[in-house]
Amino acid sequence: MRLLAGTIYASIRSMPAALDISAYPPDGMEVRLIERFTTLKGRRILEVGCGDGRLTFQYAPTAREVLAFDPDRASIEDALDEQAALGVSNVDFRVGSIEHLPARGAPFDIALFSWSL
Amino acid sequence: MVHALRRAGQRLRPGGRLISIRPHETQLPLVSVITPSRRIPVARLTTPGFDDRQSAADAALERVVAEGRFALNGIRNHRYRSLLDNPSQLRTYLELINPPRPRFPPGRRAQLLDLWRSSPRGSKIEIAEWIVLTALRRR
Repeated sequence: MRLLAGTIYASIRSMPAALDISAYPPDGMEVRLIERFTTLKGRRILEVGCGDGRLTFQYAPTAREVLAFDPDRASIEDALDEQAALGVSNVDFRVGSIEHLPARGAPFDIALFSWSL
Repeated sequence: MVHALRRAGQRLRPGGRLISIRPHETQLPLVSVITPSRRIPVARLTTPGFDDRQSAADAALERVVAEGRFALNGIRNHRYRSLLDNPSQLRTYLELINPPRPRFPPGRRAQLLDLWRSSPRGSKIEIAEWIVLTALRRR
């Protein structure tokens, strides 16, 4: 597999205050990259290692349904707080890892490992 | 990691996509000082202890493709840059960065601080990072 293949695009952002600092890519960048390969619109998505839902909330408005889980309980609690604040109803956040996911069940269109592999 | 990918594959519909986004294995974060007139690269941050994990992730993705569970759909590298106002923000950034706990090569942190102190007003500290997105298609 040619891991160095592909096109490099640059994004840039400015961080005016220490409290705003995030070491992750700017909002929207990862979603745009994903959509070079597949649309997220109307899809049933499995997100492995969702953390506090940083990426989940970026694509959830266009997805049909999302199952997002993370082994860190505190992160999932943060995600649930944010979900309530945003009124997002199509995401099911759970504490756990993919090993806890039953082998059988309704199929997903996309499995997303974001910074978790 | 292979087990996690296999389990995900079990729950994907045929033709479904598995997407992995992770830090680039060899393009390490680059710290530069940006003055109003020029960019001065100072150091590439190293991530001791994380390289094995990065290699394992790549190997796991290759393994599930070799097993015939997935086909490679594509790979994209992407660079993004963050601009910080001062070294204090840099310390915060380095606590948040992924892979965790990056290190400056010996002497480079001091070089950065020296350079910063002599930089004109309006200068910034830039961190350029690279990520790689791998897309697999479920057979």
